[in-house]
Parts: sequence; structure tokens; C-alpha cells
Amino acid sequence: MKLLLARLNRNKQGQVARTDEILESESIPIGRGSDCKLHLPDPRVALHHAVIQKGAADRISIDATQGVIAIDGRSERASLLKTDLLIKLGPYTIIVLPTPDDVDVAISLELTEPLADRTEATIQAQKIASAGLGSTWLSKRRMSWLLAGVVALIFIIWPIWHVVNTDTHIVGEKKLAKITADASWDPGPLDSGHTSFGRDCIRCHQTPFVQVKNETCESCHKSIGWHFALETAAAKQLHTNVFSTDGSEGRCAACHRDHKGKNALKRQDSPLCTDCHRDLKTRHNEVASPNIGDFKKDHPAFKLSMLVAGKTGKDAVIRVSQSDKNKLVEKSNLKFPHDVHLSENNRDGVRSPGGKRAMECKNCHVPDETGTRFKPVTMKEHCQDCHSLEFEPTATSRQVPHGKVDDVIATINEFYAQAAFMGKTIDQPPSKIWRPGDEPRTGPDKNIAWVNQKAKAITTEMMEKRVCFACHEITRVGVGAAQSWHIAPIAVTRHWLPKSRFPHSQHATFSCKKCHDVEKSQTSADIAIPDLASCQSCHSGNVPEQDKAPGSCESCHGFHTGGTRAGVPVVLPKLKDVAITTRSGVFKHPTSTRPAAK
Amino acid sequence: MPHQTVLEYRHYRYLKIALLVIVTSIAAYVFQDAPVGRYGGTPVGYALGIAAAAVVFWLMWFGVRKRQYTGSKTTLQGWLSAHVYLGAALIIITTLHAAFQVGWNIHTLAYLLLLIVIASGFFGVYAYLRFPTMQTNNLGDETLNAVLLRIGDLDKEAQRLVMTLPDKFNQAVQQSVQYTLIGGSVRNQLRLKHPDCPTNKAIPILEDQTNKAELNIEQAQTLHALYSVMLRKQKAVVRARRDIRFRAMMQVWLYVHVPLSFCLLAALIAHIISVFFYW
Repeated sequence: MKLLLARLNRNKQGQVARTDEILESESIPIGRGSDCKLHLPDPRVALHHAVIQKGAADRISIDATQGVIAIDGRSERASLLKTDLLIKLGPYTIIVLPTPDDVDVAISLELTEPLADRTEATIQAQKIASAGLGSTWLSKRRMSWLLAGVVALIFIIWPIWHVVNTDTHIVGEKKLAKITADASWDPGPLDSGHTSFGRDCIRCHQTPFVQVKNETCESCHKSIGWHFALETAAAKQLHTNVFSTDGSEGRCAACHRDHKGKNALKRQDSPLCTDCHRDLKTRHNEVASPNIGDFKKDHPAFKLSMLVAGKTGKDAVIRVSQSDKNKLVEKSNLKFPHDVHLSENNRDGVRSPGGKRAMECKNCHVPDETGTRFKPVTMKEHCQDCHSLEFEPTATSRQVPHGKVDDVIATINEFYAQAAFMGKTIDQPPSKIWRPGDEPRTGPDKNIAWVNQKAKAITTEMMEKRVCFACHEITRVGVGAAQSWHIAPIAVTRHWLPKSRFPHSQHATFSCKKCHDVEKSQTSADIAIPDLASCQSCHSGNVPEQDKAPGSCESCHGFHTGGTRAGVPVVLPKLKDVAITTRSGVFKHPTSTRPAAK
Repeated sequence: MPHQTVLEYRHYRYLKIALLVIVTSIAAYVFQDAPVGRYGGTPVGYALGIAAAAVVFWLMWFGVRKRQYTGSKTTLQGWLSAHVYLGAALIIITTLHAAFQVGWNIHTLAYLLLLIVIASGFFGVYAYLRFPTMQTNNLGDETLNAVLLRIGDLDKEAQRLVMTLPDKFNQAVQQSVQYTLIGGSVRNQLRLKHPDCPTNKAIPILEDQTNKAELNIEQAQTLHALYSVMLRKQKAVVRARRDIRFRAMMQVWLYVHVPLSFCLLAALIAHIISVFFYW
């Protein structure tokens, strides 16, 4: 078999150069192998790729042996060679040419897909390799812009948009927003008292870039007081010196830092007080208070605030140290011996209209609503059951009013006048020989005389021997028709230690007598307020002690106890509020210790 | 002058300065009069915060400074030394500024970003001090380009040799020539193991005794030569890849360090704005 092979070579301009050669053999193997008649030196060609051979009836065909051939674009195992047939054999293209006379078959062969120049590829690889990560999708600049942009958008622009755009606020809505644009600015949980603000930051932070103002705090905390009363210029100056760095009154937030936890807004540490008070004299010589550093070590004896009967204003209260034993006498103008009343002494109890009644402290001393102190003891509720104000018990259960002396006299006069008028004189006036000038023995004049005499006798008896006299300090004033009595005003001190807070409810596990020694008290002049040592027997100082309750300053004392800031009464009563203005002869308990906010 | 690393610059000048800053910060934090507790809003807290912010801005200026090749009396190595030590000192300063308080907010986000940036910087210091030596050990006197060129030559040689050998050898060599990836994608640059590498796969095929059995003597000799060429190529490929990996490792931390620095800058500005917006 003779085969005309036309090798086609294309130069860079695309011009084709043709080299013809004749291959003559039984069959013509095509492949990479050097033993192949048609040697195709390309690695993509199989060693023995295909073979061209003459078959039956002298038909010439191409058969794939180890390689794959594509005939007119289709993968085939074999094919007859016809003119213009296009055979792809690896990177080579073979086209069957019209057969000249002297050969059996003619084909053209062209390397249409030459191997890439490996040097070129190597240079490319070098470029990639030396470019490092810069040749990849990674980009520092792009990532920087992206990340910074996202952070600025979420944490700067969005929150500010939220603040400026008041439509997005939740003011006035009852439901608290769980999350808002400025939530990410929140440095920590609000104090539990402020959680009702939710995420409405501008409730307190009213002006951007301006610190929270005291007025903002005071818009709710109306009754908060100064640390001490600012009644004098010196006091105001002292307050500024102590609490301000810029000449102002000092910021609430200087001490009260919110966003520090649910219960962190209020300082309760002893250093809050002792930092200044342990050497207060050195710091502020003008202050009268002593140096106090520790409840256990150097707390002075308690000072009792005692009412002074009949006085008003500042004079109504005197402060007496418990170390000053001679002055520890209560002058309440009330006669009340605890020993007589307490069942500890009278096991069967005291006499009462309903028989013997055993009395305990709580019969008279009823805790107030707060459990801190006690409701006032009143004549009507606590005394009058036994201490009836009846003035003619043999005839009536009628009582004189517990009030002014004049009212008492009037009541008694009215009673006997009415009796005389109705002819029901209770007993006959004493008979004696009538003389001219005497009051008439019969007729209206006689009755008037009886009434006057009777009423005067009864009133005198009540004022000077029993009933009123049993409890009150009474002196006779005036003579003759103008004769009357003066009942000394009652001044029972209800708040002995107004500068401290002592919640009785928190001490309810103890019996009253553990602290209040009244069993043997025979007179109301005795004072049964426990002293410093009594408290110290259970309470430690700043340093905790085994089996002792803590005794920090805050355990008993408040900070804002020095008078109003915003013109509103403070929570704790000021002394003059406790001191009542008593009217002559009238039994009256102190007024409310909790003045309502104006 | 003996070689000095950035850490040793001028007898640890900036280490000493950084330590001074740290000790001062700790002392100020511990001994501050803190009636309402320690946090970023106390006088000392503000001072620490201002110092930290100033240091952050200065550290970021390094990106500008390192591009200024002229007109500076300071050396870039000195700047880098200070950059490293003052950056490290920020860990302490900002922790004290935050007073160990964290939460789900922009403030802690800024703090976390700062810590990540510093940590990536630590890796950078390690990479710059350690990897150049390892690179030299890997390549010896050669350069990466030389190794790549040699791989190209070995490819040509292998292709020439395999021409007379059966197709399975040819195929393996062709795969190795065409699909052996050196560098390229982020993953390919950073990973050391390439289990799918056609060069590695070609070696066992060349070693396979059953494949050898069909060969004549001439072919067997060619195969032996090819085997030796392919082994040399495999070694060269491993060395090139290792070198590229070192280069990538010395770059990759910057893709964390730089973008997160700018992210931190935004977070820091947000932190400052938010604190004073709601003062």
C-alpha cells in the first residue's frame, strides 16, 4: 500500500508549507512510538494510536488501536478513508485528499494544536508564585473598606439616625422595646429601678454630648435631700467644697453611676462615709460632727432627740447624748408607769371593765405600715377602755370629751343643768338654815346654785384627784368664777433617733425587752432607748465578725438626709416636723411623720 | 554592625518604654481613688482610654509611614520596633481602661477587635523573625524562580523520555506536567499537603513492577532515567511549594491585621462617639 502524506506546516503569518512524502507498507501504524510508520512525536498521541490499512476489496480504512480518533467530529473506532474525510487524532488533524493515480490513498497531516511552550508556562507560574496572595481574590483594601463600613453603619450611623429620627422612639408606648438601634451603645445593665425606661436612652441622656443633668434626676427624685442642710452660706460653701470639683453643687452621677448592674446605683459601702468622716475635723474644721471611722471603734454615744413640751420650731427638740445620764429624763407631762401595766409584773393582768386583762407591749405599740416604727398610742384606742372618762358613773355612762378643759367643764355643767331642769337632781343640795343674802332654796336660782356647786365639785375631783389627774399634769388657775385648770401639754417623743433608721420589723425575732428595759419602770420619765453598747452586742463594725450582723454606716444612716433640694420635704422627717405645736390643755399626738409631697 | 531584629532594636529601647507605660498604667489603675468603682469613666479610666486611642491612631499611621521612603530622620525599623511593643502594651492599657468589664456592646466589640489585631500582629512578628531563615534552609542558594525553571526543564526532559514508553507512563507524566499546581489559589499557597498532586501520583506508577514487565531493555533504561527525573521534579515541587507557603504565611496575617485594624478604627470611633453622645 502506498500512502501520500502531505505534511502541512503553518508559519506565524498563517501561510502553509506542504511537504510530501510517500509511505509504503502493508499497513501504516500511526503513533508516538518510534516503530510507527507514521511517527507523531507528541505526548498526547498514544504509542500505537491507530493504523491505516487495506482491507477487503482494497478498501482503505483507519482503525483506532490504542488511541481515540474522531471522524468528522464523532468518536469512532474505525472508518473507511473517503475524500475530504476529517480525522482528529490527538492534536493532529488528518484530511483525506483526492487520491492521485500512483498511490492508494493521500492524506494531509497538520499539527493543529501544538503543545504550549513550557517555558512560557513556567514564566506564568513564576509570576503567580511570586505575586503570592496578592494574586488571589484577597484584598486588604477591599476588606478594610467593607469591614470598617459595616461597623460604621451599624454602630455609628444607624444609632444616630435612630436618635435624630424621633419617630423611631418608644416614648409613650407601654411596651418596652427589647432592642433598638442604639442598644449596642449600652455599656451595661441599668439599675433595676431604671429598667422601666427600657431602651429609651434619651429619658436621661437628654442632650447629645452633654452629661446627664441633676435636674433630669430630680424630675423623678423630687424628694431627695442634700447630705446636710444648706441653710447658711457657710454650709453651702462647705457642700461645694466637699462634693464638687467645678464650683457647682456637685453631680448626682458623680456617685450614682448607672449601667453598672441591677443593684449598683446606690453606694452602700462604708468608705462612702468614712472616707470623709473618719477625719472630718481635719478636713473641715468648721463641722461640729465628731470623727467617726467605724461603728465598733469610735462611734460616739447615741444622741436622743427629745421633745420639749410647749415649745415650737427648733426649740421643740433637744438633743441629749446617752452618755449624759443626768439629762436622760423624759418630760412628757404624761403619767404612765410601765411596771403597773405590764403583765410581766401583774401575772393576772390589770383591772379592766371586762375583768383582769393581761397586757403586753404590742397592745399599745402597734407597728406602723412600714414596720419601721409604731403608730401613735392614742387615748381612744389604747387607754379609754380602762381609763373611762365617766364623771357620774352612778347615774350614767356619759363621758367628758378628751379635749379642752373648757369643753370638759361645759359638758359637766350641761349634764347637771339638764338634770336640774328636768327636776332630776341626783342628790339634794346640803340643807342648812337659809339666811337673807343666801342663794334661794327654791325656784330657778336654787337649781342654778346646785348645778354650779355640783359641776364644780365634780370637775375639781376629776382634775385634781382622779380621771384626768390620773394621767395628766394639771394645775389650778384663776379663782372664783374664773377658776379653771391648765393641763400641761403632752410631749411624748415618738422618734428618738431621727438621724438613723431602725426597722423594728427586721428585729422582730427578738423580744422587746431585749432592748427596751421597761419592766421595772415606775415613771414615764424613764427612757428605754437602747444604747450604743446594746447595738454593738449584735452588730460588728466595718470589719465583719463571727456571729455578728454587719454594722456599716449605711446599716443605720442615710446619705441624703440634709433637707430638701427641690423644695420638697425629705423622706425622713425633719426635727421640727416631729415637734408638734401643742395647744394648752389639749392632748394631742404628734402629727404625721411623713409629710405628703407638695 | 551585627544584625539586630526589630525586637532588639537599640537595646530594646521600645520594650523598655512599653514596660514603663504598662507599669504606669497598672499603678494608676490600682492606686486610683475609686469611690464609685473602677471603669472607663473615672479620671484614670479616661486617661487610659485617651492614651489607648492615641496609641491606636499612631499604630495605624505606620501604614502611611512605611510607604514614605524619604524625608524621615527615623528609621523604619525603629518605627516597627515601637509599633510592636506599644501595640503589645495596648493589651494591658485597654484591659485596664475597660476595668475587666465586658458585654454585648460596641465597647467590647472594639476591645475584641483590638485583641484580634494584636494577636495577628504577634503572628506577624513570629513570621518575620522565623520564616526567612526557614526559607533559606528550604531553598539553599537557589531562588524560587530557579526552582520553577528547573521544574520546567525537568518537565521537558520527562516528556522527551516518556515518548517511547507505554501510554500509562506517558499519561502519568502528562498529568504531572499539565496539572501540577504550584501556588495559585489561597488554599494552594497555604497548604503543604497536596494529596491530589499528579506528580506525587506519577511516582508509584513509574515504580510499579507490573508496568515494567512489558518493557524491553531499552525502554526499561528510559524508564529508569524518567523515574530519576520525576523524583527530582517531586523534590523541586515540594521545595517550591514550601517556599510559596512561607511567602504566603508572611502575607496572610496582614489580611487579618490590616482590614481588622480599619474595622477597629471604625469601632473605636463608634465607641468614643457613643460614650460622649450619651454622656
